Amino acid sequence: MNINDLENKALWLRQELFEMVIKQKKGHIPSCYSCVEVMVALYYGGIVNIKHGYPQDPDRDRVIVSKGHAAMVQYPILADFNFFPKSELLKFTQSGGLLGMYADYRIPGIEGISGSLGHGIGMGAGFAIAARHDGKKYQSYIILGDGECYEGSIWEGAMFAAHHKLDNLVAIVDRNALCILGETEELLSLGDLENKWRSFGWETFTVDGHSFNELLPAFEKIKQVVGKPSVIIANTIKGKGISFMEGKSEWHNRMPNLEQMAQARSELGL
Amino acid sequence: MSVTNESSPQLMRDIVINSIAKAAKKDKNILFISADLGAKSLDDFRRDFPNQFIHAGISEQNMVDLASGLALSGKRVFLYAMAPFITARCYEQIKCVIASMGLPVTLISVGVGLGYDHATLTHFTPEDIACMRALNGIEVLTPSDAESTEVIIEKAIAEPKFRYLRLDRQGQLPIYNGNFRPNMKVGFSHIIKGKQLVIVSCGALMNKVLAAREKLMFEGMDVGIIDLFRVKPINGRELSKALNSYNAILTVEEQLLDGGMGSAITEMLADYMILKPIKRLGMRDGFSVVNGDRDQLHDLYGIAVSDVIKAVNELYQR
Repeated sequence: MNINDLENKALWLRQELFEMVIKQKKGHIPSCYSCVEVMVALYYGGIVNIKHGYPQDPDRDRVIVSKGHAAMVQYPILADFNFFPKSELLKFTQSGGLLGMYADYRIPGIEGISGSLGHGIGMGAGFAIAARHDGKKYQSYIILGDGECYEGSIWEGAMFAAHHKLDNLVAIVDRNALCILGETEELLSLGDLENKWRSFGWETFTVDGHSFNELLPAFEKIKQVVGKPSVIIANTIKGKGISFMEGKSEWHNRMPNLEQMAQARSELGL
Repeated sequence: MSVTNESSPQLMRDIVINSIAKAAKKDKNILFISADLGAKSLDDFRRDFPNQFIHAGISEQNMVDLASGLALSGKRVFLYAMAPFITARCYEQIKCVIASMGLPVTLISVGVGLGYDHATLTHFTPEDIACMRALNGIEVLTPSDAESTEVIIEKAIAEPKFRYLRLDRQGQLPIYNGNFRPNMKVGFSHIIKGKQLVIVSCGALMNKVLAAREKLMFEGMDVGIIDLFRVKPINGRELSKALNSYNAILTVEEQLLDGGMGSAITEMLADYMILKPIKRLGMRDGFSVVNGDRDQLHDLYGIAVSDVIKAVNELYQR
């Protein structure tokens, strides 16, 4: 896909997510929207090896949205890859439906359970070690929240992955600089995240997380990195795509009223 | 005097690791991960199977997350650490990524209860049975001597599932004499059939309970003894039958009474609507840091042989 197609795909993903959340009044729009371009780059930008209709492919790349409150960002993509019927999207969080508010490992295309923060790097390191053990070439991509980097287990995992030179492990930090109560740098400073990861032995990249022109070359470069895991610090805007939600922590899990809904629809081209 | 002379009972951890080593030779998917706890047998394992051993660092949280990724990739993972650190320290990880997905990971816990006697409170696990049996779908196994350890680990290797294996730090005097195996299926051993009263215990306290029984025999009391080596799932059907053949029950454990083995038994009896005099011996709130060896701690915390004898007498006099 060219950049224009990817941008259209990103808009499509925001539209799908909006409809899912609004229909059920459940889910976290802003957390999903900040990592939309990252996900689209991975799945549609020629980065991950995932075959349509074949979620159990033993050679597939593993994609884990460790910031579990945004795991639903994968659902429309996985349906688009024919991993389950598109009709499931409309049954999001409904009794009898496949798709929950947080990702469930039984959903085709979801590699592990999420919802509690801080598990993705360790779990991903497990996939990466197993791949090496089995002589497999697949990569594991872990999407972390920046707020998730407050969890100590992230850094335990970071140290472990660097020691084992897991160049088949890639982390993407969705650096939207917000958590529920406000701005990370005001609440409890995360500081220079790139430096922190680098000092743990990771190859680091910092990009505009909404720019395919920056994301795709970074992912391509990572494929050439040997002997260490890589991390992309993706600077993003929480709620990107709906102007009144952008950069506003109070929208973490709030639902728009009728007027706001109309405005959001108009901005999303719905 | 050497601590590990020829006559010392074999350490449970060595039995377990040697069995896993045998299996690892045949199955390359077996991985053993330690959070910096060693063993003589582990030195051999690391030498013989460098590709099947991982040092997790003193990072139990990451160790459990790592295990989930490995298990999801078809690996058979055994995690190994000191009891306090492989339970409460990484409980959230065990709950979220192992229990929630029912992954076949075995948690091997060394030094349960008061095993690290001189290390005191940070190293005690007076709550490990309570917290681990509260996990969804877990099997909790607690061998009492070398023979039961060997049969239990054999089964754990043969039938992978989510398990918590409680090992004592010290080698335990033999309780079984080649006769443990048939009990494996039942989940408990009715070691001695007695009259009127039965004592249920597990793990390192089994030898103390048997010593108490010897003394009670002199006082004319012929009590039964049950080793509840599988605390979860408890075999309610068979255990309730066995307990129902007595007039009174005494449970003895090296755990806080809240949620421990005695709790599991009383819950089971309630479920089976069996009303029977029952007394639980175990640790109670308020225990504090005291220097002393394990026997001294048992005296202090009310779970010594003399406490067992006293409790039996009380139940008899009822």
